[in-house]
Amino acid sequence: MSETQSAAGVIHDLGYRRYDGPRLGRAQIVRALIWHSFRSSFGIGRGVKAKIVPILACVAMLLPAFVNAFAVSRGSARLFGYDVYTPQLRVIVVTIFIAAQAPELVSRDLRSHVLPLYFSRPIRRGDYPLAKYLALTAALLLLIEVPLLVLYVGTIASAKNGHAVWGETKALIPGLGVGLMWAVLMAAVGLVLASLTGRRAYATGIVAISCFLTWTVSELLIQAEGGMTSTSTGARIAGLFSPFNIMDGVRIWLGGTSPGEDADPGHFGPLYGIVAVLLLAACLGGLAARYRKVSRA
Amino acid sequence: MPSTEAPAGPLSPAVWETAVVETRALTKVYPGNVTALDGLTVDVAAGVTGLVGANGAGKSTLIKILLGLLLPTEGQAKVLGHDCQTSGERIRTLLGYMPEHDCLPPDVTATEFVTHLGRLSGLPPTVAKERAAESLRHVGLHEERYRLIGTYSTGMKQRVKLAQALVGDPRLLLLDEPTNGLDPAGRTAMLELIGRIGAEFGISIVVASHLLGEIERICDHLVAIEGGRLLRADTITSFTRASQVLAVEVEEGLAQLQQELAARGLAATLAQRTLLVPLGGDDTYDVVRDAVADLALPLCRLERRRHQVEELFRDEEGAAHV
Repeated sequence: MSETQSAAGVIHDLGYRRYDGPRLGRAQIVRALIWHSFRSSFGIGRGVKAKIVPILACVAMLLPAFVNAFAVSRGSARLFGYDVYTPQLRVIVVTIFIAAQAPELVSRDLRSHVLPLYFSRPIRRGDYPLAKYLALTAALLLLIEVPLLVLYVGTIASAKNGHAVWGETKALIPGLGVGLMWAVLMAAVGLVLASLTGRRAYATGIVAISCFLTWTVSELLIQAEGGMTSTSTGARIAGLFSPFNIMDGVRIWLGGTSPGEDADPGHFGPLYGIVAVLLLAACLGGLAARYRKVSRA
Repeated sequence: MPSTEAPAGPLSPAVWETAVVETRALTKVYPGNVTALDGLTVDVAAGVTGLVGANGAGKSTLIKILLGLLLPTEGQAKVLGHDCQTSGERIRTLLGYMPEHDCLPPDVTATEFVTHLGRLSGLPPTVAKERAAESLRHVGLHEERYRLIGTYSTGMKQRVKLAQALVGDPRLLLLDEPTNGLDPAGRTAMLELIGRIGAEFGISIVVASHLLGEIERICDHLVAIEGGRLLRADTITSFTRASQVLAVEVEEGLAQLQQELAARGLAATLAQRTLLVPLGGDDTYDVVRDAVADLALPLCRLERRRHQVEELFRDEEGAAHV
């Protein structure tokens, strides 16, 4: 009798169970947060609406690569340079992507005041922005580099010989490097701007307007100073007003051959490099400072 | 590779028995010279402890220092034997924290949310999932746990907040105003839940509240702070000892009865429509019964009552100010 009772008790009321198993250390907790954030930057684990922008962005970025593969199979040469891909489309898609997804990563948490729950767990203050930054960088890398790889595969599929494949590979590698620079810098820019406010619409507006506006202003100034072929100091400095044109200047300075958005920075090249590094440092520093403040609140 | 930082093992029984929280001359001065804690020295024993004080008394500041999120300006704090200034991460593996304010995203389900926070507490993926389901069951959320949190009532949201504090199997729960925003029934249910967690789950709890009358029901100990200083810390029984009264209600003739009781040596005080008689011993009942019978008054209530601890504080404060 008592035996059946206790058996029934076990089945119907498990009671509170302790957990004495292994616990993950801080590094693994941060890794879990990165993975979670990386998924949500593509809307995975969120509703259907959250997936619209990421899917459209990926499609828009991939389309030229597939068009290229088709054209190459018909006997044309490769249509896009690996180091610039489709310059203006890339600027627009990347801007839209970070304007939509950087707030997804940081503004939501600010809005719902969920951060005290994060900071009451065994991570450090800097871990949260670091995880968000690495997640968005990885998402941007995927968005930017996968089309390059498709472009590459589509081109070498029609390659005549090993020499042509080797030539393509040599052209691809700097292109991947430029993509990495884009991901690293734009993730920082997007996150620091998005983390200014918990209101998502505002955050999206701030990111989008900042990126587009600076880009437009920079482009206009370059045009006013004689356009992309200009070697005037004014045109060379005008490129420094937009993160996209800074990166383009760095690309050209480092030996990129495809014509891009920028005037050739010429001897201003190192300045572009320094400004890019300073911008990255400022954004990451701003992000860290932002969360140092939040975690005390 | 999972490190084997089991939280339960390493705590020596000595620490367990002495104090879960110790502070020594703990002082926190915010920028602008706002003193939130002013030399607070207190030991909190295992069990359920009420941390009471008015809004602004320093309760939330104390909790944040215990979590290792704020550094004290001066003094020392230890949680489960670990120093808050140097072992914040270690302490946070042992703590569950339920903040005072809203802290839930509306657009995820409770299951997803608590699982995610379980991961951040250091649980492996499958364990996090299991424990999230269990925690939500313990707080009384069953099928609803698959719904978006945004569709929940305030009471259910409070339960999710409690579940996320429980998910990592903490040794100590810090609950900041857990009954905030709840209706009376919701308050009672939440308090019962907290009482059960303290009594049956073997988890120590520090529950901060400005409503003393409410949390005294579930606490073993009380720590009262005011203006960042310790007002009093003791067990709940010593708070209430020698504070028993007998509440007498008659339909008419209250003043008459008061006089009669005074004549028989009982100093009854009138509180609204009730006479409060200090309860000396069993014979007090007899004296009251006889007095009522002799006056032939219609008696409608005779019950033993405890002073609300709140009144004790009020008295003490009053005495201190005089």
